[in-house]
Amino acid sequence: MAEEVEGKGPVDTSNLYEGKVVRSSAPSRRKAAGTLKKSTDIPEDAVPEVLVPSWVETIFGGPVVAKRDFLAPDRMVVSLQVWSSAALLILCFLTFMLTPVSGTAWFAVSNIVGMDVLGMVFHLGLILIGLVGGFYGIFQRDQRAMLASYIALIVVTIRFAGSKVEFGLSFLPEGEVVQKILLILYAIFLVMYIEISSGIIRFSILDTSIRTGEVYVMNVNKISGRYSRALGITPTIAGFVAMLTLFINLIVPAFVGIFDQVAANRLKESVELTSVYGVALGTILVFMIIASMFAINLPLKIQQYLERQS
Amino acid sequence: MFASLSIAMYLLGLVLRNQQLVTVAVVLLSFLTWAAMRTAHGDVSSTGRRIEDSKIDEGIQLQNIAALRKISAARVFEDGEIDVTLRLQNRSNISKVLELRDRVPEVMRIKKGANYVLMEIGPQRETEISYTIEAPLRGFYTIGPVCIRVQDEFGLFHNEREIQLYDDFLVFPKMEDIKDAMIKSRVPKIFTGAVNIRNPGEGSNFYNLREYLPGDPMRKINWKATARQDGKMMVNEFERDAVSDVILIVDSREVSETGPVSRNSLVYSTRAAASLAQYFLSRRDSVGLVVYGDEIVSVDRDTGKKQLYILLTKLAGAMAKGNTPLKIVTNRIMPHIHRGSPIIILSPLEDDPTIVDAVRDLRARSFEVTILSPSSLEFEFDARRLDRTGYEVLKTERDILMTELRGLGAYVMDWEPDMLLYTALAGARGF
Repeated sequence: MAEEVEGKGPVDTSNLYEGKVVRSSAPSRRKAAGTLKKSTDIPEDAVPEVLVPSWVETIFGGPVVAKRDFLAPDRMVVSLQVWSSAALLILCFLTFMLTPVSGTAWFAVSNIVGMDVLGMVFHLGLILIGLVGGFYGIFQRDQRAMLASYIALIVVTIRFAGSKVEFGLSFLPEGEVVQKILLILYAIFLVMYIEISSGIIRFSILDTSIRTGEVYVMNVNKISGRYSRALGITPTIAGFVAMLTLFINLIVPAFVGIFDQVAANRLKESVELTSVYGVALGTILVFMIIASMFAINLPLKIQQYLERQS
Repeated sequence: MFASLSIAMYLLGLVLRNQQLVTVAVVLLSFLTWAAMRTAHGDVSSTGRRIEDSKIDEGIQLQNIAALRKISAARVFEDGEIDVTLRLQNRSNISKVLELRDRVPEVMRIKKGANYVLMEIGPQRETEISYTIEAPLRGFYTIGPVCIRVQDEFGLFHNEREIQLYDDFLVFPKMEDIKDAMIKSRVPKIFTGAVNIRNPGEGSNFYNLREYLPGDPMRKINWKATARQDGKMMVNEFERDAVSDVILIVDSREVSETGPVSRNSLVYSTRAAASLAQYFLSRRDSVGLVVYGDEIVSVDRDTGKKQLYILLTKLAGAMAKGNTPLKIVTNRIMPHIHRGSPIIILSPLEDDPTIVDAVRDLRARSFEVTILSPSSLEFEFDARRLDRTGYEVLKTERDILMTELRGLGAYVMDWEPDMLLYTALAGARGF
């Protein structure tokens, strides 16, 4: 043992074994611990654990999905799982109906390759990934699978398109109003699917915390009731706002028509107003109103008014 | 993230002239806007706000929430429990869903109840949250502030507020019952007390028999012994009762905290010092304390219950800091203590080249030195922070140092983690 120690650092203890010198003070154990080992490596536990975020985490400012362990789902989580899977089913069906393969990047590639069917297979594959990944994520409460499902269902809609609305199935109605309502329905189901599936994770965390005693919930039914109510109200309002923006090509001419019927007719027939740019104009108008509400702190003032009633 | 996603989708939809994408983005934006409005995040886009308006950031919903806390005790011993009752009032006419966390120090354990509550509190209602915390480590602690949060149903936006409500409490080191530490002074003080000092004198305990000397009072004559000694007069001698001055020296240098948080030399030393202080004070001894780390903190000798609380408070606040050598401490205190008084040093005996000199000086001045050394080697070895070879070598060095200190006439005990204080003390005294 003494040989191992000899000459390896400032703490020379060999003299102690020969009985010639008696040290007058305790040795520095920290220093000794570093030099007394056979190898001069720093002990593993002496190095503090430093978690270096990956480049993806750096971009998002933290882990994109956290890995968690949950207890078996309670009634609330199970009902959310059912709602979410219903929303996913409807969403996938709507996606299949409303998003044609034409105009997509994979369609272009398959055309270049000369195998048109490949594009269709890829397109359906994406919808299938969205569906299967979603179901897996919902019932296994796996955020990674959910994320894959979200991405697949969003990517499938990315396509170069004309200004005119085009659907995947040819038998769908041609009427503008019905088309736009279908589009809004699709968008609402996409957003609701994302929201309810994240709700599964949130309520699973909450449920696990309640059952492990980490958090105490007073009146859990009222809290989950509020969430259920919000799931009904919020998409209705979002749908209404979306309708205002999408039907701007009807609203603006109707408004202008009060003053000038000719100008209103010209606006109605304008290609730009019925195209995606019309939607952009609608968004600007609707969100300008919303922004002005925020600018004057209207929500805050409403809240203050309600509080002042007390 | 939702906002970035919706804006990205919106822009991409415009570039690709894809109405599906734009519609999804619009719905998502509407969804977010509604959630923001519900949480009264109206201030997010307003400009030119003054500093005094900053309270609005907390959210108007939280302005009418008040909290009041009551704790069952402001002083507990280690492993003691404190019951906390938090009363929360909603002074507005609107029902609120609140997330509440009463912040407790990290080292505390929640024994019963929860300090994190999610609740719906009705208008003009009051609710009470109770929980019990266990204090495993000595020190000064604070409970608070109370953090409350209100958020929208989807958890997208929230407003937070901290109610600046604080309650301080003190955790004393826990004490072990040491029946007889066997530490007695040879030097009496002026007044008679309860401690036997092993010198003959006017006391109550029998010490010895000796021959009668002229001037001895008649009541001291032991007639039975006289009869046995064929007429030689024998008298009883008694131990002199006195009050000792006991000085406790606690090493709170940085090195004394080597090891796990709850099992290190400083934790053991403070517990031992508290137990010893209680024991000596209960015998009406006068106890002084010196805690040295980055500075020398001393409590003058005194007796009584009040002194115990003073000592416990000092021990509770002992922090592992600095590297003051023992010699400096002994040089400073030696002129102020009676020769022969027992001095108990509680130290891991590490990283201090002056230990031997300091003990030699104390012994040279007839102080009775007892060293209780909680072995941080054992703490570290148990925690697998030290390999076997390192442990063996260092243990040998430690043993040699202890042998040397014993050679100077000090009572030294290598106090291993699972050993009771009483056993360690008995070992130190050689009983």
